[in-house]
Amino acid sequence: MPGSGKSDDRRLGFKASQEVVVVAISVMLFVVFSVTLNNFLSQGNIIAILKNVSILGTLAVGMGFIVVGRGIDLTMVAVMVVGVAFSIWISSWGIDFTLAVICGAILVAAIGLFTGVMVAIAEVPPIFATLAIASSVYGSGRIVFASDVLYAPPDIAWLKFVGNGSVLGIPMSVVIFGAVAALMGLFLRKTRFGRLVYATGDNPNAARTTGLPTRPIIVTQYVISALIAFTAGIIMTGLVTGIDTRLYNSSLIYDVLLVVVLGGIGLSGGQGGVRNVIAGTILVGILTNGMTILNFSYTSQNLIKSVILLGALAIDAIINPRDEQTSQSGDI
Amino acid sequence: MKILKKCLLAGMAALALLGVAQVASAQETDQVGRAAYLDGVKGKKVIFVPISQGMDLNQAWVMVWQRHAARYGFTLEVRDPNGDTNAGIRAMQGAIAEKPDLIIVQNPDVQTYARLLKQAQAAGIKVLQVNMQSATQTDSYVGNDWIEMGRLEMGELAKHCTGPNAVSHKVVWLAGVQTGAANIYMRTGIDEVLKANPELQLVSDQPADYISEKARQITETVLQQHPDLCGIMGIWDNAEVGAGAAVAAAGKQDQVTIVTNGAGAATGCESIKNGLLDVIFNFNAPIQGEIAAQQISELLQHPDRKAGSEKTIFFGPITRVDKTNATGRNCWKPEDIK
Repeated sequence: MPGSGKSDDRRLGFKASQEVVVVAISVMLFVVFSVTLNNFLSQGNIIAILKNVSILGTLAVGMGFIVVGRGIDLTMVAVMVVGVAFSIWISSWGIDFTLAVICGAILVAAIGLFTGVMVAIAEVPPIFATLAIASSVYGSGRIVFASDVLYAPPDIAWLKFVGNGSVLGIPMSVVIFGAVAALMGLFLRKTRFGRLVYATGDNPNAARTTGLPTRPIIVTQYVISALIAFTAGIIMTGLVTGIDTRLYNSSLIYDVLLVVVLGGIGLSGGQGGVRNVIAGTILVGILTNGMTILNFSYTSQNLIKSVILLGALAIDAIINPRDEQTSQSGDI
Repeated sequence: MKILKKCLLAGMAALALLGVAQVASAQETDQVGRAAYLDGVKGKKVIFVPISQGMDLNQAWVMVWQRHAARYGFTLEVRDPNGDTNAGIRAMQGAIAEKPDLIIVQNPDVQTYARLLKQAQAAGIKVLQVNMQSATQTDSYVGNDWIEMGRLEMGELAKHCTGPNAVSHKVVWLAGVQTGAANIYMRTGIDEVLKANPELQLVSDQPADYISEKARQITETVLQQHPDLCGIMGIWDNAEVGAGAAVAAAGKQDQVTIVTNGAGAATGCESIKNGLLDVIFNFNAPIQGEIAAQQISELLQHPDRKAGSEKTIFFGPITRVDKTNATGRNCWKPEDIK
């Protein structure tokens, strides 16, 4: 458990190192692109980078929160698209859109609750529980909505503001991402509940034996991650006027997981935080932006992305070799 | 007595004539060839393997085909792989094993089903491809002339982005899936127009994967690099609304022309009215579905013809829709088709 003696210092060092590697690569890419690409270093492009990763980043904050507690939530994209699509669908019956969004949030929280119960109480390993639930959530949505793409009603002022509005020149999507990340950071670092999440992730059995309420903690985590996924969906609907449920079939959920792991939150739980998520998100953002500007083909973009990500993991493995002491049970 | 006999004979003759007349009139009311047609299609089995039934065009086709099947007594089963290529391969293998009279297929790309389609033809199953072709040509293809589509869309941009009054000569091609038939053939058409208009400058050629958020991200990045961008062309109206959103967010709706194509659903017309899109080359999925329905009938009517022995192609209509004609049949709703 963090905050207790020598082992914590070691883990703190491990955390920082992976994060440092990622930040260093980001800075390097940033410098290279700034020098070689026109307009890369413009205010507009930097805002565009942030705006383009706001959805990925928001989802990754939710995923990071789960991974810290030694879980994994593969339902996030399914919950995001189905939750928002549900809201749009019921608003097409004539229900006020804001009310429909609240209903969507309740549905999403209920799905999160169910997932949490499956993981914490039925003790189904999270990777299988969430994989199955993701598929059923998406499948149910697919049967109910008929169409893949659902458009929000056109004249909702607050939704337009989420898509096109800005605060002090910063687009709302970035503001929301920042707010979610900041709240999560404070929550994890400053609240007792946050510390309990680390304890549960570090060693669930020990946490439980010590008398911590691990089950309610895990259930709450999945409810929160579902609501964060829903928030990401609302950002997307604001940005592109509708939601495309086919995103479930895309690689988005793996990108989210990648950002989390790349940033330095180990899948074995109990380590890392929001800062790692932001580091991972920004690296992916800079990389994607630069390659889009360079007009690289899709295949070469994927290749370069994977090579750089593999490189980051390899450098980390060299700097922080794993041994019996550093590896934990459940480490993947 | 004699008179009575004559009367009786005359009466019988009249009755007989009447009877003959009735038979004759019954024969006249049977439409020529209808019985053979009904006989040909009734009880036949058709399997459709789409890319995903969640798309507007697919919904229109299947609505039209189901109505046709119900009217003439054949069955249409839809095996929806929902965008998953592996599930699609399994669906195709399953369909071939069942030996239906006809398989309808919408190919996710030109290669994936190419061998399976050959197998189906070898097994004597007729294959109708809709809108997305495979490298293997089969009995029939009903769908877009994609080369013409590429030519039309880039041609539209050439109108806006060449000449002295153009804001610039910079254009963007937001592709779909690079191995898909639509993408490959549209590119041929695009290149023809680019060759004819050497001043046009293709500054970005990135696939948005038919996803609006991806289209938005690419457009936003490109607009930062090329603030004087003149035009964007895409591959599906439901994805290019994302490009429209990025252009609107940059306040460049008057500067950037956005051209795409689509099934002609009312949602596309809404996007034109909202100012997210400028021109949609509308391939009217319900009419495409009707053409395919007639192809289904033709292929079912001639069981004697060997699968793959005759290869036909039908290109559907393409209508240029902008804000002046985004009404009526150019903007169908699913409930209009029923």
